[in-house]
Amino acid sequence: MDPLPWILGAGAAVLFGLALLHLLVALLLIIPTWRIFRRAGFSGWLSMFHLLPVIGVLVVMAILAFSTWPAGEARRRD
Amino acid sequence: MGAEIAALASFFGLTGFFATIGAVLAGWMAWRIVEKAGVPGWVGLGAALLTLTGIGSIVPLILLWVFAYMRWPRDEAAEAPAAFRVLPPAAAPVPQPMLAPPPPAALPLGDRRRWQLSGSLLSGERVVLAIEPASGSYLLTGGTPAGAHELGIADPSVGRPHARLLTSGTRLGLEDLGSAGGTLVDGARLGPEHGARDISQARAIRLGSVDLVLSRA
Repeated sequence: MDPLPWILGAGAAVLFGLALLHLLVALLLIIPTWRIFRRAGFSGWLSMFHLLPVIGVLVVMAILAFSTWPAGEARRRD
Repeated sequence: MGAEIAALASFFGLTGFFATIGAVLAGWMAWRIVEKAGVPGWVGLGAALLTLTGIGSIVPLILLWVFAYMRWPRDEAAEAPAAFRVLPPAAAPVPQPMLAPPPPAALPLGDRRRWQLSGSLLSGERVVLAIEPASGSYLLTGGTPAGAHELGIADPSVGRPHARLLTSGTRLGLEDLGSAGGTLVDGARLGPEHGARDISQARAIRLGSVDLVLSRA
Protein backbone atom coordinates (compact mmCIF):
# COMPACT_ATOMS: atom_id res chain seq x y z
CA MET A 1 0.00 0.00 0.00
CA ASP A 2 1.25 3.48 -0.90
CA PRO A 3 2.11 5.37 2.33
CA LEU A 4 2.12 8.84 0.74
CA PRO A 5 -1.66 9.53 0.97
CA TRP A 6 -1.54 8.50 4.63
CA ILE A 7 1.31 10.88 5.44
CA LEU A 8 -0.38 13.74 3.58
CA GLY A 9 -3.65 12.98 5.32
CA ALA A 10 -2.04 12.91 8.77
CA GLY A 11 -0.24 16.20 8.04
CA ALA A 12 -3.46 17.84 6.95
CA ALA A 13 -5.21 16.59 10.08
CA VAL A 14 -2.46 17.99 12.32
CA LEU A 15 -2.56 21.37 10.52
CA PHE A 16 -6.35 21.47 10.78
CA GLY A 17 -6.14 20.65 14.50
CA LEU A 18 -3.56 23.40 15.08
CA ALA A 19 -5.69 25.95 13.21
CA LEU A 20 -8.74 24.92 15.24
CA LEU A 21 -6.78 25.24 18.49
CA HIS A 22 -5.52 28.67 17.44
CA LEU A 23 -9.08 29.82 16.70
CA LEU A 24 -10.29 28.50 20.05
CA VAL A 25 -7.55 30.30 22.01
CA ALA A 26 -8.13 33.47 19.95
CA LEU A 27 -11.85 33.28 20.74
CA LEU A 28 -11.08 33.12 24.47
CA LEU A 29 -9.13 36.37 24.04
CA ILE A 30 -11.46 38.06 21.54
CA ILE A 31 -14.60 37.92 23.71
CA PRO A 32 -13.20 39.89 26.69
CA THR A 33 -11.16 42.29 24.54
CA TRP A 34 -14.21 42.99 22.37
CA ARG A 35 -15.93 44.21 25.54
CA ILE A 36 -12.88 46.19 26.66
CA PHE A 37 -12.68 47.92 23.25
CA ARG A 38 -16.40 48.75 23.38
CA ARG A 39 -16.06 50.16 26.91
CA ALA A 40 -13.04 52.20 25.85
CA GLY A 41 -15.11 53.66 23.00
CA PHE A 42 -13.55 51.79 20.06
CA SER A 43 -15.07 49.36 17.59
CA GLY A 44 -15.13 45.81 18.92
CA TRP A 45 -13.73 44.55 15.60
CA LEU A 46 -10.26 45.74 16.69
CA SER A 47 -10.18 42.67 18.96
CA MET A 48 -9.85 40.56 15.78
CA PHE A 49 -6.11 41.39 15.86
CA HIS A 50 -5.94 38.41 18.24
CA LEU A 51 -6.22 36.23 15.12
CA LEU A 52 -2.66 37.27 14.18
CA PRO A 53 -0.35 34.55 15.43
CA VAL A 54 2.27 35.47 18.07
CA ILE A 55 2.11 39.29 17.87
CA GLY A 56 -1.69 39.66 17.92
CA VAL A 57 -1.86 40.11 21.69
CA LEU A 58 0.86 42.79 21.61
CA VAL A 59 -0.96 44.67 18.80
CA VAL A 60 -4.22 44.70 20.76
CA MET A 61 -2.46 45.83 23.96
CA ALA A 62 -0.56 48.56 22.09
CA ILE A 63 -3.78 49.98 20.64
CA LEU A 64 -5.39 50.11 24.09
CA ALA A 65 -2.29 51.40 25.88
CA PHE A 66 -1.13 54.17 23.56
CA SER A 67 -4.39 55.66 22.29
CA THR A 68 -6.68 58.17 23.89
CA TRP A 69 -9.85 56.31 24.82
CA PRO A 70 -12.82 57.99 23.10
CA ALA A 71 -15.16 57.06 25.96
CA GLY A 72 -12.92 58.80 28.48
CA GLU A 73 -10.11 57.73 30.77
CA ALA A 74 -9.74 57.76 34.52
CA ARG A 75 -8.18 60.98 35.78
CA ARG A 76 -4.50 60.50 36.53
CA ARG A 77 -3.62 61.11 40.15
CA ASP A 78 -1.07 63.89 40.07
CA MET B 1 24.82 49.35 23.86
CA GLY B 2 24.85 47.05 20.82
CA ALA B 3 27.43 44.78 22.47
CA GLU B 4 25.30 44.42 25.59
CA ILE B 5 22.22 43.59 23.54
CA ALA B 6 24.21 40.99 21.57
CA ALA B 7 25.56 39.54 24.83
CA LEU B 8 22.05 39.35 26.29
CA ALA B 9 20.79 37.73 23.10
CA SER B 10 23.42 35.03 23.20
CA PHE B 11 22.91 34.51 26.95
CA PHE B 12 19.18 33.87 26.75
CA GLY B 13 19.19 32.58 23.23
CA LEU B 14 17.33 34.57 20.60
CA THR B 15 13.91 33.23 21.61
CA GLY B 16 14.44 34.08 25.25
CA PHE B 17 15.64 37.54 24.23
CA PHE B 18 12.50 38.27 22.26
CA ALA B 19 10.36 36.76 25.03
CA THR B 20 11.98 39.12 27.56
CA ILE B 21 11.36 42.15 25.33
CA GLY B 22 7.76 40.99 24.83
CA ALA B 23 7.21 40.52 28.57
CA VAL B 24 8.58 43.97 29.42
CA LEU B 25 6.46 45.57 26.67
CA ALA B 26 3.36 43.64 27.76
CA GLY B 27 3.86 44.62 31.41
CA TRP B 28 4.29 48.28 30.52
CA MET B 29 1.22 48.29 28.24
CA ALA B 30 -0.91 46.42 30.79
CA TRP B 31 0.06 49.08 33.34
CA ARG B 32 -1.13 51.84 31.00
CA ILE B 33 -4.35 50.03 30.04
CA VAL B 34 -5.61 49.38 33.57
CA GLU B 35 -4.69 52.93 34.62
CA LYS B 36 -6.99 54.27 31.91
CA ALA B 37 -9.81 52.25 33.47
CA GLY B 38 -8.97 53.68 36.89
CA VAL B 39 -7.34 50.53 38.33
CA PRO B 40 -3.85 50.94 39.89
CA GLY B 41 -1.17 50.28 37.27
CA TRP B 42 0.76 47.67 39.26
CA VAL B 43 -2.28 45.36 39.05
CA GLY B 44 -1.95 45.22 35.27
CA LEU B 45 1.83 44.84 35.43
CA GLY B 46 1.49 41.98 37.92
CA ALA B 47 -1.14 40.25 35.81
CA ALA B 48 1.08 40.44 32.72
CA LEU B 49 4.18 39.22 34.56
CA LEU B 50 2.26 36.23 35.99
CA THR B 51 2.71 34.71 32.53
CA LEU B 52 6.44 34.34 33.31
CA THR B 53 5.86 32.27 36.43
CA GLY B 54 5.07 28.58 36.56
CA ILE B 55 1.36 29.27 36.67
CA GLY B 56 1.40 29.69 32.92
CA SER B 57 -1.02 31.78 30.92
CA ILE B 58 -4.32 30.51 32.31
CA VAL B 59 -4.35 32.93 35.27
CA PRO B 60 -3.73 36.09 33.14
CA LEU B 61 -6.48 34.81 30.82
CA ILE B 62 -8.90 34.59 33.73
CA LEU B 63 -7.80 38.05 34.95
CA LEU B 64 -8.44 39.41 31.43
CA TRP B 65 -12.04 38.18 31.62
CA VAL B 66 -12.42 39.65 35.12
CA PHE B 67 -11.05 43.00 33.89
CA ALA B 68 -13.44 43.04 30.93
CA TYR B 69 -16.54 42.48 33.03
CA MET B 70 -15.70 44.18 36.34
CA ARG B 71 -16.87 47.68 37.33
CA TRP B 72 -14.21 50.20 36.38
CA PRO B 73 -13.46 53.07 38.79
CA ARG B 74 -13.47 55.32 35.71
CA ASP B 75 -17.21 54.71 35.20
CA GLU B 76 -18.04 55.40 38.84
CA ALA B 77 -16.23 58.75 38.74
CA ALA B 78 -17.85 59.77 35.46
CA GLU B 79 -21.39 58.85 36.39
CA ALA B 80 -23.70 61.82 36.66
CA PRO B 81 -25.31 62.46 40.05
CA ALA B 82 -28.93 61.37 40.39
CA ALA B 83 -30.21 64.94 40.22
CA PHE B 84 -29.02 65.23 36.62
CA ARG B 85 -30.76 62.11 35.45
CA VAL B 86 -34.29 62.85 36.65
CA LEU B 87 -34.63 66.01 34.54
CA PRO B 88 -36.88 65.26 31.55
CA PRO B 89 -35.39 66.33 28.20
CA ALA B 90 -38.02 69.00 27.53
CA ALA B 91 -38.25 70.36 31.07
CA ALA B 92 -36.82 73.78 30.37
CA PRO B 93 -38.51 74.95 27.15
CA VAL B 94 -42.11 74.21 28.26
CA PRO B 95 -43.74 77.48 29.35
CA GLN B 96 -45.81 77.22 32.49
CA PRO B 97 -47.58 80.59 32.90
CA MET B 98 -50.15 79.28 35.40
CA LEU B 99 -47.58 78.08 37.90
CA ALA B 100 -45.54 80.15 40.29
CA PRO B 101 -41.80 80.02 39.58
CA PRO B 102 -40.14 77.20 41.51
CA PRO B 103 -38.30 78.24 44.66
CA PRO B 104 -34.54 78.42 44.22
CA ALA B 105 -32.85 75.22 45.30
CA ALA B 106 -30.90 75.31 48.52
CA LEU B 107 -27.18 75.41 47.86
CA PRO B 108 -25.03 73.08 49.93
CA LEU B 109 -22.09 74.74 51.69
CA GLY B 110 -23.36 78.13 50.55
CA ASP B 111 -21.31 78.10 47.36
CA ARG B 112 -23.15 80.70 45.32
CA ARG B 113 -20.43 81.42 42.81
CA ARG B 114 -21.55 81.36 39.21
CA TRP B 115 -20.15 79.01 36.60
CA GLN B 116 -18.48 80.69 33.69
CA LEU B 117 -17.63 79.31 30.26
CA SER B 118 -15.35 81.60 28.30
CA GLY B 119 -13.44 81.38 25.06
CA SER B 120 -12.89 82.90 21.64
CA LEU B 121 -14.65 82.17 18.37
CA LEU B 122 -12.85 81.77 15.04
CA SER B 123 -14.15 85.22 14.09
CA GLY B 124 -12.14 86.66 16.99
CA GLU B 125 -15.31 87.42 18.92
CA ARG B 126 -15.09 86.65 22.64
CA VAL B 127 -17.82 84.57 24.25
CA VAL B 128 -18.54 84.51 27.98
CA LEU B 129 -21.44 82.45 29.28
CA ALA B 130 -22.50 82.88 32.89
CA ILE B 131 -24.51 80.07 34.47
CA GLU B 132 -26.38 80.56 37.73
CA PRO B 133 -25.74 77.74 40.21
CA ALA B 134 -29.45 77.23 41.05
CA SER B 135 -30.95 73.99 39.72
CA GLY B 136 -31.79 74.29 36.09
CA SER B 137 -31.19 73.23 32.54
CA TYR B 138 -29.70 75.26 29.71
CA LEU B 139 -29.40 74.50 26.01
CA LEU B 140 -26.14 75.42 24.30
CA THR B 141 -26.95 76.37 20.72
CA GLY B 142 -25.07 77.73 17.73
CA GLY B 143 -28.07 79.84 16.74
CA THR B 144 -29.71 82.85 18.35
CA PRO B 145 -30.81 81.98 21.88
CA ALA B 146 -34.63 81.88 22.09
CA GLY B 147 -35.00 82.52 25.81
CA ALA B 148 -33.29 82.64 29.16
CA HIS B 149 -32.76 78.87 29.15
CA GLU B 150 -30.70 79.00 25.94
CA LEU B 151 -27.07 80.08 25.67
CA GLY B 152 -25.85 81.09 22.24
CA ILE B 153 -22.39 80.46 20.80
CA ALA B 154 -22.43 82.04 17.35
CA ASP B 155 -20.27 79.56 15.50
CA PRO B 156 -21.18 77.34 12.53
CA SER B 157 -19.49 74.30 14.11
CA VAL B 158 -21.82 74.42 17.12
CA GLY B 159 -25.06 72.47 16.69
CA ARG B 160 -28.54 73.93 17.10
CA PRO B 161 -28.90 72.79 19.78
CA HIS B 162 -25.50 71.29 20.57
CA ALA B 163 -25.54 70.23 24.23
CA ARG B 164 -27.42 70.64 27.47
CA LEU B 165 -25.95 72.10 30.65
CA LEU B 166 -27.48 70.97 33.93
CA THR B 167 -26.86 72.72 37.21
CA SER B 168 -27.64 71.30 40.60
CA GLY B 169 -26.19 72.89 43.69
CA THR B 170 -22.42 72.83 43.47
CA ARG B 171 -22.38 70.54 40.47
CA LEU B 172 -22.49 71.17 36.77
CA GLY B 173 -23.43 68.53 34.21
CA LEU B 174 -23.03 68.42 30.45
CA GLU B 175 -24.92 66.25 27.99
CA ASP B 176 -24.16 66.08 24.28
CA LEU B 177 -27.29 66.12 22.13
CA GLY B 178 -25.82 64.20 19.18
CA SER B 179 -24.29 67.24 17.52
CA ALA B 180 -22.22 66.71 14.37
CA GLY B 181 -19.33 68.84 15.65
CA GLY B 182 -18.90 66.72 18.77
CA THR B 183 -18.11 67.61 22.35
CA LEU B 184 -14.82 67.13 24.22
CA VAL B 185 -14.42 67.36 28.00
CA ASP B 186 -10.73 67.81 28.89
CA GLY B 187 -9.86 66.20 25.57
CA ALA B 188 -12.11 63.13 26.00
CA ARG B 189 -15.07 62.78 23.67
CA LEU B 190 -18.49 63.12 25.29
CA GLY B 191 -21.06 61.38 23.09
CA PRO B 192 -24.85 61.36 23.32
CA GLU B 193 -24.61 57.72 24.43
CA HIS B 194 -22.83 58.79 27.61
CA GLY B 195 -25.75 60.83 28.93
CA ALA B 196 -25.12 63.68 31.35
CA ARG B 197 -21.64 63.81 32.84
CA ASP B 198 -20.47 65.78 35.86
CA ILE B 199 -18.02 68.43 34.59
CA SER B 200 -17.64 70.34 37.90
CA GLN B 201 -13.96 69.41 38.02
CA ALA B 202 -13.36 69.80 34.29
CA ARG B 203 -11.31 72.60 32.83
CA ALA B 204 -11.53 72.60 29.04
CA ILE B 205 -14.78 72.11 27.12
CA ARG B 206 -14.77 71.94 23.33
CA LEU B 207 -18.01 72.32 21.37
CA GLY B 208 -17.48 71.76 17.63
CA SER B 209 -14.33 73.82 17.03
CA VAL B 210 -14.93 76.28 19.87
CA ASP B 211 -12.65 75.92 22.90
CA LEU B 212 -14.14 77.07 26.19
CA VAL B 213 -12.57 77.28 29.63
CA LEU B 214 -14.73 76.46 32.64
CA SER B 215 -14.21 78.58 35.73
CA ARG B 216 -16.14 79.86 38.73
CA ALA B 217 -16.65 83.51 39.55
